[in-house]
Amino acid sequence: MTDEELKAEIEREIAAHTILIYGKGTKEQPRCGFTLETIEFFERFGYPFEVIDVLENMPKREYLSHMTDWPTLPKVFIAGRFYGDTDVLEPMAQSGELARILRDAFGYEPESKPTISLR
Amino acid sequence: MIDDETLATLIRVRLPDARISVRDLTGTRDHLDVTVRSQTFAGMPLLDRHRAVYAALREALDDGRIHALQLTTLAEEETP
Repeated sequence: MTDEELKAEIEREIAAHTILIYGKGTKEQPRCGFTLETIEFFERFGYPFEVIDVLENMPKREYLSHMTDWPTLPKVFIAGRFYGDTDVLEPMAQSGELARILRDAFGYEPESKPTISLR
Repeated sequence: MIDDETLATLIRVRLPDARISVRDLTGTRDHLDVTVRSQTFAGMPLLDRHRAVYAALREALDDGRIHALQLTTLAEEETP
């Protein structure tokens, strides 16, 4: 896959999912503690989110790192904008800023905040 | 695997005034919880603070000395 194709694929994915996590493993089977932590983090908010597994896809990982100037996984995008990982998002959650960003991004309040994980 | 001194030296190349505390999360010295305090961070967005630390530790992240890094970045007057 050329860089242009990678770029187009990533842009498509970011456009398709309001909350998108590039991580190691899937939502059902996370293969990294930080990816799992990020999934649990977003489960708290009650909005839909997608996890795309790039663990084995080195060209895509490299492209994403270059694109975001951020070397590690997971990488979180909300409404097309890069937000780093939960080290960045957790303080934003505590200040209430993230809830506002998510409400604006989705255009509605979450219907119900799940208190337990069903995974 | 990286010792505290090497880690601190690498970070201080970019952030000379940095005060650094390290917690070894797994006992293997490659999964680390690192707090960096520096006046350079004052007025800097969180994303850019973390980019600065990642840039300082790039080599150690690339060569696997650090496998996983949990980061807190604070300006002098801030509390975690």
